[in-house]
Amino acid sequence: MQLDLSVLAPHAGFLWRGAILTAEVCGLAILGSVVLGALVAIARTASSRWLRGLAAVYVDLFRNVPFLVQLFFFYYGLPELGIYIDAFTTGVLALSIAGGAYASDAIRSGILAIDPGIIEAAEVSGLSRRVIFTRIVLPIALRTSIRPLGSVLINMILTSSILSAITLNELTGSGRIVASDTFRPFEVYAVLLVAYAALTWTVSLAVNLLHRRMNRGITQAVA
Amino acid sequence: MLAIEKVRKVFGATTVLDGVELVVEPGEVVSILGSSGSGKSTLIRCINGLERLDGGRITVDGFNVSKPRELAEARKRSGTVFQLFNLYPHMTAVGNVMLAPVEVLKLPKKEAEARARRILDSVGLGPRADAYPAQLSGGQRQRVGLARALAMEPRYLLLDEVTSALDPEMTAEVLGILAELARSGTTMLFVTHEIEFARRISNRIVFLDGGRLVVDLPTAAFFSAAGGMAHPRIAQFLSKMQKD
Amino acid sequence: MRYTEFTPYDIVLLAQGLGVSLALFLATSAIGLVLGTLWAVTRFYRVPVLSQALAFLAELLKNSPVLVQLFLVFFGFPAFFRVNVTPVEAALITLSANTAAFVYVIAVSGIESVGRDQIEAARVFGLTRWQVLRRVIAPQAAAFATGPLVALLVNQLQVTSLISVIGVADLTKIGNILNLRTLKPFVVWTVVGLLYYLAAKLVALIGARIETRLRAHSAWRGL
Repeated sequence: MQLDLSVLAPHAGFLWRGAILTAEVCGLAILGSVVLGALVAIARTASSRWLRGLAAVYVDLFRNVPFLVQLFFFYYGLPELGIYIDAFTTGVLALSIAGGAYASDAIRSGILAIDPGIIEAAEVSGLSRRVIFTRIVLPIALRTSIRPLGSVLINMILTSSILSAITLNELTGSGRIVASDTFRPFEVYAVLLVAYAALTWTVSLAVNLLHRRMNRGITQAVA
Repeated sequence: MLAIEKVRKVFGATTVLDGVELVVEPGEVVSILGSSGSGKSTLIRCINGLERLDGGRITVDGFNVSKPRELAEARKRSGTVFQLFNLYPHMTAVGNVMLAPVEVLKLPKKEAEARARRILDSVGLGPRADAYPAQLSGGQRQRVGLARALAMEPRYLLLDEVTSALDPEMTAEVLGILAELARSGTTMLFVTHEIEFARRISNRIVFLDGGRLVVDLPTAAFFSAAGGMAHPRIAQFLSKMQKD
Repeated sequence: MRYTEFTPYDIVLLAQGLGVSLALFLATSAIGLVLGTLWAVTRFYRVPVLSQALAFLAELLKNSPVLVQLFLVFFGFPAFFRVNVTPVEAALITLSANTAAFVYVIAVSGIESVGRDQIEAARVFGLTRWQVLRRVIAPQAAAFATGPLVALLVNQLQVTSLISVIGVADLTKIGNILNLRTLKPFVVWTVVGLLYYLAAKLVALIGARIETRLRAHSAWRGL
């Protein structure tokens, strides 16, 4: 019962590559989530009842079904449709769709929080609906929802460990291989636990910094 | 010509505007006075199409604001300055001013920016052109709001209680610019509580009471004992405002 | 295993799987609630060392993937502590501890939501720290925490799906078995997803009921 981390030293490079893969998957998936989340947020604030209902069903469904089940649905289901994509792409897709449901909430409340007077000012100056949305509503909503979107990203990093179940050797998947190679599962998973915690803490610090930077103009006290 | 004909506006059970008639010719400065709740701001919001009319007609140079296809043209001809500024918080002063010229008038970016900086300079904000709204004082923000409206070179400037949210010092800086604009022949429809100022710059003064247009008189006549002051509501309003 | 069509017995299998998922969910939720509340109480009593250690542990559990925690207990504990850990035991330990970490955070903010002045006033009247906790803080903190707790439990229900990865025959594991046997991924994962969805809605519904009742009792405190 001696905690001996030195046995992991030869595998550090392998684990590092796993961590890089985790970062890549999450980086792509958070982009996908924000794009999807923005589209769904638009749909949820749209005037069409159909569109609103459809968007609400999507959010409700993907938030109340375990991610592992969603992942298996795509991983085993898509080939059935003749769509053959690798585990990496499946992982990014599944994370984007699940994350999109949460991101849409964040962006939607960002949209609803915008002072109606600002939109009115844009309307009377003759801006089209499209321009008002892309140049005013969305940029403001994205700025104010940086923190909640940061939580979506942190959750995504933790959730991405589940991708090891579809043979993707991201950080957790690599850990499983190292654990069975070294017969030191305790050391491996303890290190992984701390590595994930360190990663999410770093990300939340970065998100706070970004929030302050992007909202410098918006929130600063009157000079 | 800005023509308001028999305009009616109802919110639920309250009639906010009741048969208002008003014509503003190019070059005129018309002030709208009245106590709060008299319908002044609603009238402005009807002219720029933010409220739907429940009766009557408003045309800006012949373009009917109630017709969706003509509203865009009508809006191009008028510029609105708001009581609470309503600046785009994520854009600098220059960004606020040049957005509509680029997107609506399709001006090249460089040209629009040069125009924006020139106008900001003319309202005394040249050095603060790259500041965000949150970094500006109330008076400075309202001057950006004014510059944003002016950048579209509107034929009619609609001013909705533009100094109500400002302290006296800031009010003075904004009114100074408006006086300048009036002298240079800008057409203005001016909803205000600043009676003395209205008296100085207006050609005509209109008084609204309970959604009805009570008088529409040349400035001198409005303040004369036989003119506007003959109306008890106006005399009451003026004495109350002057006490404040 | 031969590929075969669905049989009526599959419904029994699914029901069993759902039963295992729900049983583990209920057990770990109950343990987690008690444990997390106890952690929060040690913090309220400002127990030296222990309260800091628990706060750190909670942070670690909140910021690392449940799957890694599960592997640490299931693969790591036997190797390191030379003890025998069955899949169900690993599931019980991991999910309870994970739920406890989140309950701890919610309970702490619940306790902190009760004003200092109230606590001081009660202390001045001669109430012991325990009496203050029971009579003054607990009822208010419970009303404050119900909403977040219900959201947590809906989430933890979905987290139980991860125990299928270490071999517990829960609903997701049954899904895996049926998926491999029938090769009808769409049907299998849609049914499994739907069952999880309904269970989540049930938890949310019961939670909402409890919340309304608690709020009705404490409504006057909001004034």
